[in-house]
Amino acid sequence: MLEADDLTAAYDDHLALQGVTCRVAEGRTVALVGPNGAGKSTFLRLAAGLLEPSGGRVSVGGHPAGSLEARALMSYLPDTPALYDDLSLNEHLEYVARLHGVDRWAERAAELLDRLGLDSRGDDPPGGFSRGMRQKASISLAFVRPFGVLLADEPFDGLDPPSRQALDGLVAEAAAGGAAVVLATHRLEVVGQADGCLAIDDGRLVYDGPADSAEVARLLSS
Amino acid sequence: MSSDGSARALQPAQGAARTLQDLRRARRRRAYGEIDWMDALYKVYVTAIFSAVGGSMLSGWVGGRPVSPGELASAVERGPALVGLVVAVLVAGGLRSGGRGGPLALQPADVAHVLLAPVPRALVLRAPALRQLRFSAFLGTVVGMAAGNLAAQRLPGSYPGWVAWGGVAGLVAGLAWTGSALVASGFRLGRRWAGASAAAAVGWSALDLAGGTATSPATFLGRLGMSALDGMPRSPVGLVLLALPAAGLAGVGGTSLEAARRQAGLAAQLRFALTMQDVRTVILLRRQLAAEGPRHQPWVRLPAGRRARPVWRRDWQGVLRWPAARVLRLVLLGVAAGLAAAGAWRGTPALVLASAAALLVAALDSVEGLAQEADHPARSETLPLPPGRLLIRHLPAPSVVMLAVAAVAVAVAMAPGGASTALTVGALVAVPAVLAAVCGAALSIDTGPVNPLEVELFGSAKLFIRSFGPTVLAVAGVLPVLAAKAAVDAGGAAAAGAVPAAAAVLMLVAAVAAWLAREG
Repeated sequence: MLEADDLTAAYDDHLALQGVTCRVAEGRTVALVGPNGAGKSTFLRLAAGLLEPSGGRVSVGGHPAGSLEARALMSYLPDTPALYDDLSLNEHLEYVARLHGVDRWAERAAELLDRLGLDSRGDDPPGGFSRGMRQKASISLAFVRPFGVLLADEPFDGLDPPSRQALDGLVAEAAAGGAAVVLATHRLEVVGQADGCLAIDDGRLVYDGPADSAEVARLLSS
Repeated sequence: MSSDGSARALQPAQGAARTLQDLRRARRRRAYGEIDWMDALYKVYVTAIFSAVGGSMLSGWVGGRPVSPGELASAVERGPALVGLVVAVLVAGGLRSGGRGGPLALQPADVAHVLLAPVPRALVLRAPALRQLRFSAFLGTVVGMAAGNLAAQRLPGSYPGWVAWGGVAGLVAGLAWTGSALVASGFRLGRRWAGASAAAAVGWSALDLAGGTATSPATFLGRLGMSALDGMPRSPVGLVLLALPAAGLAGVGGTSLEAARRQAGLAAQLRFALTMQDVRTVILLRRQLAAEGPRHQPWVRLPAGRRARPVWRRDWQGVLRWPAARVLRLVLLGVAAGLAAAGAWRGTPALVLASAAALLVAALDSVEGLAQEADHPARSETLPLPPGRLLIRHLPAPSVVMLAVAAVAVAVAMAPGGASTALTVGALVAVPAVLAAVCGAALSIDTGPVNPLEVELFGSAKLFIRSFGPTVLAVAGVLPVLAAKAAVDAGGAAAAGAVPAAAAVLMLVAAVAAWLAREG
């Protein structure tokens, strides 16, 4: 569902990503790990179509990342929540859902807000939200519309335990529904629950395999 | 397969245009609902008053003396090309801005949700592009009309004609400015090609000015703007510049999301910094927007082992890492200062304000070493040196840099046939002007941002000095030009006016420097 082929990203004289080739199939959850500055966020942004690769290609469901078809299939959850100050949470959910062609969004939105503990904040603009609440709002926006690929950058940061559990459940349901899920994370417990693991270090893919191997444990502890 | 099992949902969104309209309507409704109308009316009232006062003052300074036949002939011959050069500089600025990803500064939420949705990007981006074009058209029209108003005071032709044609030229110039940026960003010209196109646009107009010809569209637009001279509308060839906004709108869907995202964040911070009068942050953010960073390798490496004063050496090490864009900017500011000073000498005294502004902006770049100390108080406050003394030690290097800028200004002022006068006046005025500008810049950096929401501007001497001091200093620095002119007009030598005025400026600078040394 998500394919990268010799993917390279360069900024001026710095190579953020070099020759990354990998594939994430439908229904699989893959943890994307690596030290700070390794290139995890760059990889996700390339797959989301926010960045253009300097070399190679990346596709979502067979469509080039950034194309209309790819955007319809892909849901991107950034590390920094991107929310409007002048829309309430419900209004956010309505418009993201409608932009993705979902007419009957209200039920799904209400369910998400309830699971994430935001049911009483639906009519509030997120300007006054705490860090954790903004993250939960961002998660609700990622899940209110259908997708075939979920790209999430450090989605568990700032969440309280019940919300982490809720996100675990949402991710599991998405994968069970056939979505390919890529989660950039530093958390051991998230890696432990994934089907596979991609490790990036200094812009290169250094591991692509099962998530429960000794090699992954070594990479996470180094 | 989608997360909710619905294959239908993987099709591109239908009714996207309607959804976007609803989104914008809801946001507008909320924004209007949160406006404090009394506060907004008060701001309009104050803006109108300041504009009326400023316009009256400017008109008064421009004066009503009709130009001489020789000056009129020069205006007819060179005026359109000069106006065209200004338009070309605007277009060049737009191209450079577009080459870096501008001019659309989109909200991060728009980039994250709307531009990543299966909605044609041209559909999403057209509205902010039109908003930007509307604003620049409005601004251009107002500026053009104001320029026409000033021109009508001294040039022949009907007043309504000058204002109207000035407005038309300003409108087209404003649209061309934003249009060129949209073209560069939408068609992904990149920094190199955008820079080359910008240089070509300016070069073409400069050739027209130098040769007294009219070949570039910008010069033709200048001619159109001066149609009131003889009451006959000039050739509409200049209107071809309207192709820029048209092409920009057509290609807006190609705008880079990465650049739009970066611009969005930086532009929001820039707006806040402007509100807080935080000049330093404005400078830093503007550099980030322009992707302007210090050179990896200095232009020249200072020899090691010399016993140069550490602060002086540190400042020069910083200067020697300036990117070419910053060096070019200071040269251009010197050119602007020189042209404005020459214009003030030739009968438009208000142009000293432009000269002062150019020197102050250049000085704000030149005091980078001092500014870095202010950026990193944890470092500067642990140095074995009183802060005020450290501040003063950071001023000599920028003063030398600014003397070079002043030399460019004097050279430019000498160019249009006033060599000996410009050289004499320049030699007398350059040092006080430079020191005043550097002092003003240091004052601005040292006293930091002002929150206009929390304090009354006139309730505190320090805040008053912080808010107006840099401008007052910079303007005072160039007033000796007018004093020299007054002396010449009275039949005396330029020095008779310039020297006492320059001495007064130097005393003012010394007083401010002493205050900074004590309070810094």
